[in-house]
Amino acid sequence: MSTTTIDRLRDTELSYRATLAGGALSVFLLIALLGLAFPSSIWGNFLAILTSRSTLSSALRLSVPITFAALGGIFSEKAGVVNIGLEGLLIISAFTAVITTAVVGPEMTVVGLPAIWIGFFAGILSSVLFSALFAVVCIRFKADQIIAGLAVWLIALGLAPFAATVYYGGVNTDNLGTTLGTWTIPVLSDIPFFGAFFDADPAVYMMLVAVPASWYVLNRTAFGRHVRASGENPKALDTVGVDVSRVRYAGVLLSGFLAGIGGSALSLGLGQFVGNNQTMVNGKGFIAIVAYLFGNYNPIGAFGASFLFAGLEAAQIRLQQVPGYAIPDSLIQTIPYVTVLVILALVGRTRIPEAAGEHYDTGDDNR
Amino acid sequence: MDRRSFVKAAGVAGIAGLAGCTGGPSEGSQETTATTTESSGGEETTAAEQTTEESGPSAYVGMVYALGGLGDKSFNDAAKRGIEEATSEFGVEYDEAQPSAAEEFPQFQRRFAQSSNPDYDLVSCIGYAQKSALAETAPNFPEQNFMIVDDTVDEDNVASYLFREEQGSFQVGYLAGLLTTQEFSAGSGSTTPDSKNVGFVGGVDAPLIRKFQAGFEAGVAHADEEITVDAAYAGSFSDSAKGKEIATSMYDNGADIVYHAAGGTGLGVFQAAKEQGKFAIGVDSDQSQTEPNYSDVILASMVKRVESAVYTSVENVVNDEFNGGTTTTLGLEEDGVAAVYGAELGSEIPQDVKDSLSESREAIIAGDIEIPTTTE
Repeated sequence: MSTTTIDRLRDTELSYRATLAGGALSVFLLIALLGLAFPSSIWGNFLAILTSRSTLSSALRLSVPITFAALGGIFSEKAGVVNIGLEGLLIISAFTAVITTAVVGPEMTVVGLPAIWIGFFAGILSSVLFSALFAVVCIRFKADQIIAGLAVWLIALGLAPFAATVYYGGVNTDNLGTTLGTWTIPVLSDIPFFGAFFDADPAVYMMLVAVPASWYVLNRTAFGRHVRASGENPKALDTVGVDVSRVRYAGVLLSGFLAGIGGSALSLGLGQFVGNNQTMVNGKGFIAIVAYLFGNYNPIGAFGASFLFAGLEAAQIRLQQVPGYAIPDSLIQTIPYVTVLVILALVGRTRIPEAAGEHYDTGDDNR
Repeated sequence: MDRRSFVKAAGVAGIAGLAGCTGGPSEGSQETTATTTESSGGEETTAAEQTTEESGPSAYVGMVYALGGLGDKSFNDAAKRGIEEATSEFGVEYDEAQPSAAEEFPQFQRRFAQSSNPDYDLVSCIGYAQKSALAETAPNFPEQNFMIVDDTVDEDNVASYLFREEQGSFQVGYLAGLLTTQEFSAGSGSTTPDSKNVGFVGGVDAPLIRKFQAGFEAGVAHADEEITVDAAYAGSFSDSAKGKEIATSMYDNGADIVYHAAGGTGLGVFQAAKEQGKFAIGVDSDQSQTEPNYSDVILASMVKRVESAVYTSVENVVNDEFNGGTTTTLGLEEDGVAAVYGAELGSEIPQDVKDSLSESREAIIAGDIEIPTTTE
């Protein structure tokens, strides 16, 4: 790849981002303009909703599981393993987090760590173990990644409510009576509107740290380069002496780790696991896949997409309460999927890693 | 790829696929499997009993539960209470099936209807989602008695049971309307008297849930025409995170009391009430008892006594008075629905509010208050 091609790629990438950002900004300005011009119309209500602090903090909370699962999906897919089992990882970690806290005893403290945080880490651990199973099946035994990913989802979808039934006699767990709570940063949280960033669930802070950290790891470290090479051109990576399988294992385990944070945060934010129908995860793992495709495998883009979807959701539930303008919520729920169709089919900027979904065979018969 | 690794890969894919199947299309199919073995075990024992005992149980009942299964602390558990009550009262025996997807409703209905050992005297179909399945199954088994809860199927061998959810919702709406305008503080919550709004959170936007909303709004208006009801639907009965966000937005907006008809989504409403120091109203069962951690914010619950529908239908069958082709409506008068005060907060609700509620209850039963069943 010559320097000019790289430059051109970078330019198109930048102009794509500029278009997206510009588009979002102009939509907002249009709403603001209409809202200010006709304060008593739907636009005025919409503007009030978009600029309220309550909507912002809602959107932040709602985007936590989606963002973490999306970050996980990026690492896995960038390394060349398509992980569509993110939904399953969210379910299993959400459940394990609650049941572990319940078993330890919600009021207990073990070696200075409140039970709820033990549950939090146990949730992450369960997700990592689950993704390890997925990784072994996909990398060691070369199973079809899509089928194995579906299996991860379906197993989790059956296992979590089943285990809840065994332990609690019902698909929902009992309430722990305690949650992760809210961390408030004094002074900063008093800022109007943006104060929502400083008066939030612990998981929101984690998300705000994890997004730039993921970007840095992926783009500025040797490990990140190995991950990307493993997904784009595993042969080249192998040639320079890096074990492709090991990089892929790391990518998948990392996806389990990140999705686990999202799942634990989801259930411990409520102190309860709800297991009926699609469980309390309710498709967030699939929206995460949409989010990182929309964000073109860029952690910051994926966060932007997750935040956009969560923001629409937060705005939608508020708009429903304005008499007379009820937008059917089932319509809003299709927005992420319609977006990804448009992005994939019309904009065509999402570039799937070259070797994603393909097995890599080193060629040596050492097994 | 050599043959060995191919076999390995195929094996793993096969196992993964199998695991996928047992994982079930929606929630835990294992439950279904477990129940199936359980009920077939039950059939064996009943068969054994029939040979040893001359007089078997007075009736056999097949229960087909709604999605969500037993342990939902609400709808299905209430149905189970009804059949257990009937078991101890009339000596009936029952087998149960917990479908994990809507496609399984006709299968289970047919399995009970076809069975000759035991020959079921009644097949109970819990939940409105079974309506279309039962409408197809019932005409095929004209000799089999069916009952359905929450909807009507117009067949001679189906007894339909409906609830007047709007009446119970009216009562809790009236309670919310009366309390939101006065200074009231109990448990972990308190109201601000100057607020003029309360909230309603629905699960899925369906006519049945609209009935709850319509009754609630009418009840609030009965207390004070000026109070507005913020209403929103989550689009799911299990998305508790969304339920919490919806309720939080209502509390942020000044609502003191939020009523939910949203199943698992409603658990998020209680959490929001707790975090905001406001009140919530439960649904279907007395949620201050089924969710004891939230009893300090649950003012009351709109209880829907599914158990009495099941019990009554079994009683009719035992007494040879099966009322096929008719619809039984259970309202405040029949005690099919009721506003039940919270276990912890109930005693703190002022007596004059309780008196007003008793009065409105009498008025509804007497037909003096008209309650809409749909929102406009």
